[in-house]
Amino acid sequence: MKREPARVFPEIEEYREMLEIKHLRAKNHFVILLLAVGAALTILYMAFTDYAIGYILSLLIAFLALILMNLTCLAYGRENIRFNQLNKYVTTFGVFAVAVAMLFIFQSPSMLSLLFIAYALAAFYQDRKVMLISNVSLLFTFLALMTNFRVFFTVENASAENDFGLYFFVIVFISLLTISQYIMIKQKGFFYNQIAISRETEFRNIDFMIDACEKSTGAKIDTKGYFAAAESFAKALSAKIGVDDAFAGKLAVLKDLEAGTKYEVILAKHPDYAVGDLDRMSELLFTGRHKLRKVAIKMSRVRGVDVHKREIFSETQFKTFNHPSDTLEIKIIAFAVFYAALKRGSAGMRPLTESEIYDAIVHTDYYFYNDPAVMRIYRENNAVFDAIVKDAFAPEAGK
Amino acid sequence: MMNFLRRVVNTDFLPMNEVRKIKVVIVMAFLLIVTAATIGFAFFFDYTNAVKIVVMAVFLFGAGLIYLLIRFNRIMAAIHVTIVYTIALTMFYTQGTDSFYAYLFFYISLTVIVFYQELYIFLSYGTIVVGYGVFYIWIHRANLVAPDDIPGSVYAYIVLLVLFYLIFLLQSMHNEKLYTDLNLEWVKLNQVIGSYQDFTLFHLEEIRKKNKGVPFYEDRAFRKAVDELSVFVCEQLKDKGKEITNVLDLYIYIHERGLAKIIENEELSVATKKIANRLDKYLLNRRTDMVSILMNFFTRFRTTDDYRPNRYEYHLGRLAPATAEQVVAIAFVYRYLANEPTAFDRYGQPDRIMSHEEICQLFAAPEMEEFLSDGQIAFFKENAELFRDHLGRKG
Repeated sequence: MKREPARVFPEIEEYREMLEIKHLRAKNHFVILLLAVGAALTILYMAFTDYAIGYILSLLIAFLALILMNLTCLAYGRENIRFNQLNKYVTTFGVFAVAVAMLFIFQSPSMLSLLFIAYALAAFYQDRKVMLISNVSLLFTFLALMTNFRVFFTVENASAENDFGLYFFVIVFISLLTISQYIMIKQKGFFYNQIAISRETEFRNIDFMIDACEKSTGAKIDTKGYFAAAESFAKALSAKIGVDDAFAGKLAVLKDLEAGTKYEVILAKHPDYAVGDLDRMSELLFTGRHKLRKVAIKMSRVRGVDVHKREIFSETQFKTFNHPSDTLEIKIIAFAVFYAALKRGSAGMRPLTESEIYDAIVHTDYYFYNDPAVMRIYRENNAVFDAIVKDAFAPEAGK
Repeated sequence: MMNFLRRVVNTDFLPMNEVRKIKVVIVMAFLLIVTAATIGFAFFFDYTNAVKIVVMAVFLFGAGLIYLLIRFNRIMAAIHVTIVYTIALTMFYTQGTDSFYAYLFFYISLTVIVFYQELYIFLSYGTIVVGYGVFYIWIHRANLVAPDDIPGSVYAYIVLLVLFYLIFLLQSMHNEKLYTDLNLEWVKLNQVIGSYQDFTLFHLEEIRKKNKGVPFYEDRAFRKAVDELSVFVCEQLKDKGKEITNVLDLYIYIHERGLAKIIENEELSVATKKIANRLDKYLLNRRTDMVSILMNFFTRFRTTDDYRPNRYEYHLGRLAPATAEQVVAIAFVYRYLANEPTAFDRYGQPDRIMSHEEICQLFAAPEMEEFLSDGQIAFFKENAELFRDHLGRKG
């Protein structure tokens, strides 16, 4: 099997992780709620059935410790996101430990399902490492209990068939849970991927638009006019609120930054500022591809974006050459047009080399934009593709 | 098989319909294994041999039906049939034996149902399974308890089954909302990117015209390259490669005549019109899916700023924490909006500049929460005239 493809834009990894952690916090709230419900049901049951106070207290402390740890990690997670990650691993171990403790206290076949409940709780996190911990815990606990504490699961009609069935179907169940969790974790990844890729695509498309516009019209932003207007505005605003011009210093620094003056020179001219201030203020530049220009461009476009409910989850939103409704001929033509267009290039888009195209299509998520059969042909025959296009674009070929 | 495994491993790159297909294939494989095991277990069941044979025949028919539905891409129907099949297996086991392992089938059924991650499917079939499970536990309680079991153990069975269902229900509901929100954000982002690409495409066309370049579809060399590539790929996958040239001719023809005229043409067959309609998204003479993918792909090879954590941050409050800097930032943004073209005008030229009133409306729009805080919007409203007088349109 081929190695896992790289992201089409390597820049998105950090943002993707940030998205995941943002939603992890919401999932943590659900886990805390379910732990609280579990604790309440267990303690009430034990109290009504007159269990020894030692057992009741030990389980109560275990549940409370888990809940408190979750709350603490949630709080610290605001400062350092690693606490959120630590929390999901510790909680997974914790819920399995509590489930095993309950199995030993109750010693009843009805409690076997507690292991499944622990698995379901951990499944909330939809995380690969959590899944691994859960699977190992579930399988190991089940086998250990069945081997050494078989008496816990002895029911009225015990038989060899029952024993075999129990082993067989628990293993089948764990396998199914594992595959199911694995795919669900991946499916969630798809959404995070798409959002992150779109963010980066947007960033790069704004740059592309700015460059194409400047190349086509030759027009550049009138920097002097912007600063003159801003100074006039700043003076009027200061007068209105009755203070000295509070913006003159900032504008002077920005003017230097905009002119590309070196940091050392700016710092010498404006000793009140530090390197960190200049880094921060660089975000407020508005010429070329600078951030503030991107903000203004994006602001002007988001108004009027109208999304109909039927468009959400619509397959047509996913731009690909592998639409299920397309025939194989259409998929082949789509890929051939795409490939030839990249090789030919056009105004504003330079022709790409074979290695650039091959690497980006075969080794990144672009691979999945195409029909698998077409991709297999390209992967195995990219030299032929290259030769065909070179031959077609040779000077005498078009005549 | 290797290709299927590769797709399973890379599910996070595949769209929803592909993932559904993978899921249903996995469930089918799982059901086939369990059905094969059932042949052995059925010897211990309380049914007559005739019933066992009939039920196994029905299961085999069900497996065949699932295969056909997957083969003909009827994935949602296949999902329903696999779930009904799983529930039927559960009933076959639970009615055929009092053994403890039959009880596990309720958990197995719920896992199959939750695997599909469709809320309405989980709510309908999941509830049926739990309802039947509770009924089964109550009826067979004598066989499920141990000789010296804990008090109320039958209720423990019921509570744990219901809890398992509720946990996954909660998870499904949360996922449904999360995925809907993420999808909405993604669709909106795609539309905004499309509007940038409209502008880019217009300017690229202007550059091409200035350079006296030929559009893709009029370039003979390009057409020859596409033609030969298509025939080559088609020959690798099918016996004949030449038949694809008809589709390719139609593709070029749509560029020349336009889809509307082809659809109106009574001489063309319905099948041809259908193909033309599907090819439309891959045209090169306007911003289609093809052009968008090409542009997005090409941006990968353009130089870009080094990555910084605030790369995708567009909120002025977070870009400029100091109040004075925020005021300056809003001033520059206003100046840009009031002086630079940001939309197409009525003649299709990208020359439209926003008026002061339009900027005021824009700043008051709910979409601005991505860019401005409430305080910044209030500041703008209070000083709108100053913005207009000092930063408004030149001349």
